[in-house]
Amino acid sequence: MNEANFEINAPKIDTSQIVADIQAEVSRKMEEGVYADARVATAERHNLANMSDSEELLKFYLNCLRETVQVDISDWEIRDRRGGAAGSLLVKFKTAMWKLLKFYTYRLWSQQNQVNGLLHTAVESSFKNYERRIVELEKRIEELEQR
Amino acid sequence: MKLAFIAPRFPEDGVVGGAETLLRNLADYAADQGCEVDFLTTCAKNHHTWANEIPSGQRSVGGLTVHHFPVNEDRDLVLFAALQDRVSKRQNLTRDDQVRWLKNSVNSRALEEHLQITPYDAVVAGPYLFGMIWSAMSIKPERNWLVPCLHDECFAYQEVIGDMFREVHGILFNAEPEKQLAECLYGLSNKGDVVGMGLEPFKSDPEAFDVPRPYLLYSGRREPLKGTPMLLDYVNAFRRRTDKDLHLVLTGSGDFEVPEGLEDCITDAGFVSEEDKHNLMAGAVAFIHPSVNESFGIVLLESFLAGTPGLVHARSEVLKYQCEQSGAGLWFRSYPEFEAMLLRLIDDGALYKRLSMNGQRYVTETYSWSAVGRRFFDALEG
Repeated sequence: MNEANFEINAPKIDTSQIVADIQAEVSRKMEEGVYADARVATAERHNLANMSDSEELLKFYLNCLRETVQVDISDWEIRDRRGGAAGSLLVKFKTAMWKLLKFYTYRLWSQQNQVNGLLHTAVESSFKNYERRIVELEKRIEELEQR
Repeated sequence: MKLAFIAPRFPEDGVVGGAETLLRNLADYAADQGCEVDFLTTCAKNHHTWANEIPSGQRSVGGLTVHHFPVNEDRDLVLFAALQDRVSKRQNLTRDDQVRWLKNSVNSRALEEHLQITPYDAVVAGPYLFGMIWSAMSIKPERNWLVPCLHDECFAYQEVIGDMFREVHGILFNAEPEKQLAECLYGLSNKGDVVGMGLEPFKSDPEAFDVPRPYLLYSGRREPLKGTPMLLDYVNAFRRRTDKDLHLVLTGSGDFEVPEGLEDCITDAGFVSEEDKHNLMAGAVAFIHPSVNESFGIVLLESFLAGTPGLVHARSEVLKYQCEQSGAGLWFRSYPEFEAMLLRLIDDGALYKRLSMNGQRYVTETYSWSAVGRRFFDALEG
């Protein structure tokens, strides 16, 4: 086998450097909250297993989760794309239905929100506690090594 | 030189599979070089049922003599499923159970008998996780070369699989990270050679299809293991968060659930001809490969050859390695990196062009049939 065949890289471009630059820019933007977005948290749901061993990315995911953990149970404007008399009737019907459903589901969803919030807090506190303990341990190891 | 290639299915008429295609192409190449080549396979077409659909016997296909052997019909499927389930859950199996698991996987006694009595100079077989390959590799191991197509997955951690890697005469890997994984898992000391598969240069027309631009292309099986659900979520988030009217084109098989609101932005081309696939590749802003379980990215290399950069998951060591070595692709770990990289590819024409040129050059130099063929015969003769 000719090993040289596997060392090919274009001299005028270093993709590792480009990736590293983009990663640095993304990290900076994460700190600024650019990606603290429920849509990002939803997009990451299938990537969690791949992110689980990266402390930085897990921290980012927990931040995103904070944005998406509450189920939206607020009222919203009910419309119908058909318009006209039929549309107006449908809007009235949907509004009435929503009032009935809201009465029925409000308690359920508010309890779900409470559970979601508690679970998120528990995971985040546990993560922060372990992070703090690791920092303390690393500091102790460093001190012991210097003796 | 008389060679035998073994794969669970023979790739033709809609029967596809990365490992089978790779072995068939190597076999065709060896036959073109004047070797006497037998391709030993089963009578099955369907990789779920493994029903014997093709009559057993031999036939000529190009320069190959293809031998179809029946899959054993007395295997204990209940026991196999139970053991496979335990392997998948990474539960420890005794050595006896591991052997039972492989013996009740896809096997063919007729193929084993053929190997016992036929004097081949070399037997090349893969992929590693099928019982028939494990059995075949245990017959006269001194003449056997394994093409493992190895991933970091539960099956690879079984002791009996490690024994096979240690006992065969040689191993033909597809990429350096695959070789490193085998060394790490089985304690091999620089055993095996990186060979891969050759790709023929092709012409492609980026304007052949009237697909809204820019678009990402994915080619392959659409299933969670390949990262398709994640890809759909990423494209959905990208469209909602940026002002880019990004489209996604998918080729290949498998059902997938389209996220709400993304229905008009996805083109499911299904199975397409090689020419159509290459044309779709050439018109894409990037070829996306979200899978983290690949031992050789044939479609990624094809997209490089079509002049299209790759965008791959960083957890796939092999795909990342190919992007890094070629200087023709980028790799992401999370959605924010995916978004930032895709925006660069869409907006930075100069970068796109440089990545594109690097990819074509890399594949032409590293994966031409002359380069792959030389590595293949060096490995067999070395």
